[in-house]
Amino acid sequence: MQAANSIGTSLDFFLFVAFALFTIGAIGAMTRKNMIVLLMCIELMLNAVNLLLVTFSTYYGSGDAQIFVFFTMVVAAAEATVGLSIIIMAYRNLKSIDIDMFNQLKN
Amino acid sequence: MDSIVIIFIAGLIGLFAGMRKQTTLSLIVAILGLIGGGLAAYFRGTYISPIQSYAAQVPTPPMVILLLCGVTLLAILGGYQRYKQDPEHTSDYFALILFSLCGAILMAVPSDLMLFFIGLEILSIPIYVLVGIEKGSSLSAEAAIKYFFTGSFASAIMLFGIALLYGATGSFQLVEIQSNLAIGIWQSPMAMIGSLFILAGFAFKIGAVPFHFWGPDVYQGASNAVLMYMSTVVKIAGIYAVIYVFAMVFRDSYFFWIDLVSLIIVASIFYGYITAWKQTSFRRLIAYSSIANAGLMLFSLADANNTNVFFFVLAYAVSSIALVVSNQANGENSDELSAWEGLAWKHPLLGVSIVLALFSLAGIPPMAGFFGKFFLLWAAAPNLPYTTILALIGSVIGAFVYLRLLLLALKKPSVSIRIELPIEQSIVLIICSVLTIGAIFII
Repeated sequence: MQAANSIGTSLDFFLFVAFALFTIGAIGAMTRKNMIVLLMCIELMLNAVNLLLVTFSTYYGSGDAQIFVFFTMVVAAAEATVGLSIIIMAYRNLKSIDIDMFNQLKN
Repeated sequence: MDSIVIIFIAGLIGLFAGMRKQTTLSLIVAILGLIGGGLAAYFRGTYISPIQSYAAQVPTPPMVILLLCGVTLLAILGGYQRYKQDPEHTSDYFALILFSLCGAILMAVPSDLMLFFIGLEILSIPIYVLVGIEKGSSLSAEAAIKYFFTGSFASAIMLFGIALLYGATGSFQLVEIQSNLAIGIWQSPMAMIGSLFILAGFAFKIGAVPFHFWGPDVYQGASNAVLMYMSTVVKIAGIYAVIYVFAMVFRDSYFFWIDLVSLIIVASIFYGYITAWKQTSFRRLIAYSSIANAGLMLFSLADANNTNVFFFVLAYAVSSIALVVSNQANGENSDELSAWEGLAWKHPLLGVSIVLALFSLAGIPPMAGFFGKFFLLWAAAPNLPYTTILALIGSVIGAFVYLRLLLLALKKPSVSIRIELPIEQSIVLIICSVLTIGAIFII
């Protein structure tokens, strides 16, 4: 709390930004059609969590959450790698990266 | 921890064996790794790491690791016929499955939310790849896309919940979180919202209503071989994690989440079984059956000692694998339910194992599925009486779903066709049948 106050803002400010980023990412992931944009929205959600973790880490004065941030980054990188390769495979099959084109699986 | 190391090394060695395109060698390495992992878990028990604060210890009960290894062994053997079709990649598939199993063991009973989240991702990411192994098929591509986006969305939601919980309690260690929540922190909005986000993430992973929508599409698009793995191991690891996190760590806020969980249970059972009625695709039927079974597994949250779920997941896993193996034996990647007509007459072993698996899933008394369901509901009944009654009604609907499939498989064909069963599929079917009947002798 002290560290957050010393730069002239409160904890609430950081929490608000993290929540806003997460909500933007979540709404984007639910409404956008382009798969690359979807991937970026999910990355945005993960980065919102990173901001939240760093904020709490400063608030509690402990390094736990900052270490978690590194793991989250690695996970985000792994997910982006796998996700982009899956998108390329899907593009080779359907010649499109519009998520609405993928609607063949039904009863 | 020993078993994770052994399984990981087996996966690596398998990758080297794959450079020579020897499918049998990859299979043997994978099997040895799984057996070694299971034995290490059984004999070494829990392991205390030198890095106490982070990788403190993996208190996963040895029996759970043994169950995960055994189910993976069955899934690998059952799917071998598919995997060996492209010898260049056989060992890659086995390595992906073994790495994914490491994640499952890590997350099954977590000690630390950080380890738990990493285990969840190690479990999920290889499966995103495995779902898309039919590279030329647009259905497989669609399933991989859907599973990847819903799965990573769920991971992000669960991670947000973990971060909020850290904000409320100031720790990732589950023991500390529990003691902090017990002194009244669970009533703070941050802890409550955090636990709801974590519950939503779990419901996504095990495929319970209202986060089940990816299940049928992904199961239908994935190949039979991958379905054997992902419909069982993900569910077992997920249900053990949700039991540990909710019934142990969040036990002080029991009355806050138990109503929500009851709603999820009832909705999953009814939605799963009623929708399964009108399916024409076998893998979609398995998907809806797994949604309903996820609902039943969640009953263990209401039970104080929750050891009963072991029997239920064992019964569910062996029956599920037996059915998918039978479907694969019927024709490579066959999916139409109409192809099941007369399947039980095509090979004596197929007939026996289909009857046993469907009786077990339907909950007919001498089978493992009946005892699993009975113990689970009996233990939960005092805490959740109305939910238990509704679940019983739902199970009766479910029994008819399975019996309808059984009638279809038992219809006497006009011309008798025999199909050849590969040796490894016969082994899987025999093990599944023995476990389904032999359950009564374990008790």
